[in-house]
Amino acid sequence: MARRKFATLKSFLNYIGVEGDRTIFTWVSASEGDRWAQVIKGVTEKVKAMGPAGKLIKNLN
Amino acid sequence: MENIETKLREEAKRLLLEKKADVIIGYEKGTLPLTATPCFITAPEEADKLVWNNFCTQNLAKYVHDLITAHKNSQKRVKPEDRKKKVIGVVARGCTTRSLIIHLQERQYGRDEVYIIGVPCDGYVDGKGLKAAIGGADIVDGSLDGGQIKMKTSEGDKTAALKDVLADCCKTCRFNNPIISDVMVGSNAPAMNPDAEYDEVKEFEAKPLEERWAYFIKEMEKCMRCNACRQACPSCYCPTCFVEQSQPQWVGIGEDPSDTQVFQLMRLYHMVGRCVDCGSCVSVCPMGVDLRKFLKKIDKDGCEMFGSRAGSSMEDMPPLGKYDEHHDKGDFVYNP
Repeated sequence: MARRKFATLKSFLNYIGVEGDRTIFTWVSASEGDRWAQVIKGVTEKVKAMGPAGKLIKNLN
Repeated sequence: MENIETKLREEAKRLLLEKKADVIIGYEKGTLPLTATPCFITAPEEADKLVWNNFCTQNLAKYVHDLITAHKNSQKRVKPEDRKKKVIGVVARGCTTRSLIIHLQERQYGRDEVYIIGVPCDGYVDGKGLKAAIGGADIVDGSLDGGQIKMKTSEGDKTAALKDVLADCCKTCRFNNPIISDVMVGSNAPAMNPDAEYDEVKEFEAKPLEERWAYFIKEMEKCMRCNACRQACPSCYCPTCFVEQSQPQWVGIGEDPSDTQVFQLMRLYHMVGRCVDCGSCVSVCPMGVDLRKFLKKIDKDGCEMFGSRAGSSMEDMPPLGKYDEHHDKGDFVYNP
């Protein structure tokens, strides 16, 4: 169940130290274009406010 | 414990003689003092090797799965009418039966393919903890007598109280007696201290985010990717582990810190509703990574969010396989 998986994933990532706000989950129907735009706008604002993610990053050099 | 050991041997002998089981998985005396090691018994006269004491560490459900899978693979090229059924007998304490329940619920094998000899458990000794308790000295010989472990070591005689050197998972164990069994050897052991099981997790949750991340990084730096935790875990039975898959490659095989973190993160997360807190991964880890701190959180979430404890009953299905419309919280859903 996606729902239960995301609930536990969000909680677990937050527990190990990855900000809970970076794990975002919601439902958008293919017919809800307007809602989709709103969701993405909200997510972008949220992430911008937090700044770049510095955790679990692999440098390929 | 002597009494249980004698009964256990009789029971194993009877099962093999009556052909109720083809092989019995149990513990025998280890090669080092104060240890026990898993063993496979196929002949009735070998049953006297079996031991049951506070040094029996590993979760034997892993071997049940391995043996049954190997047997099924060997039967693939045999005509269906000639296929033989194999029954695996297993000496099981509380956590082992929980793992067996998980296997049964995940349809890994049938209930008739495994014969469970239930034994009461009052915890096992954490080998690393015992060594630390006696200042890192090498144990030459030792015996357990009335709750005290008496040892001859490289630095003279030492003693340790059994209750102090039990593994962390045993100290707060909720299910130390078998949940399901075909035959029970001995009477139920007294309860441990389950009320304190999440104390460590709660303490860690209260720390600031960056401190938690720093701890995670520090623990993962110890990991050398030997995969012992995965090999020992009864819930880790995929034919091809995501670590070894190359198409797609989920996680790098190198020594980059992020690869180690992602490997551990994914293995830990696969334990939602499946970790029985048997402590096998912790006890086999050669680098002493504090895996339990993270696994216990997963257990706590499963319990608090879905009211489910992994493998605690045959009827209670795995939490990630169902959904409760009325009780599941929706506070994690992003809804602008």
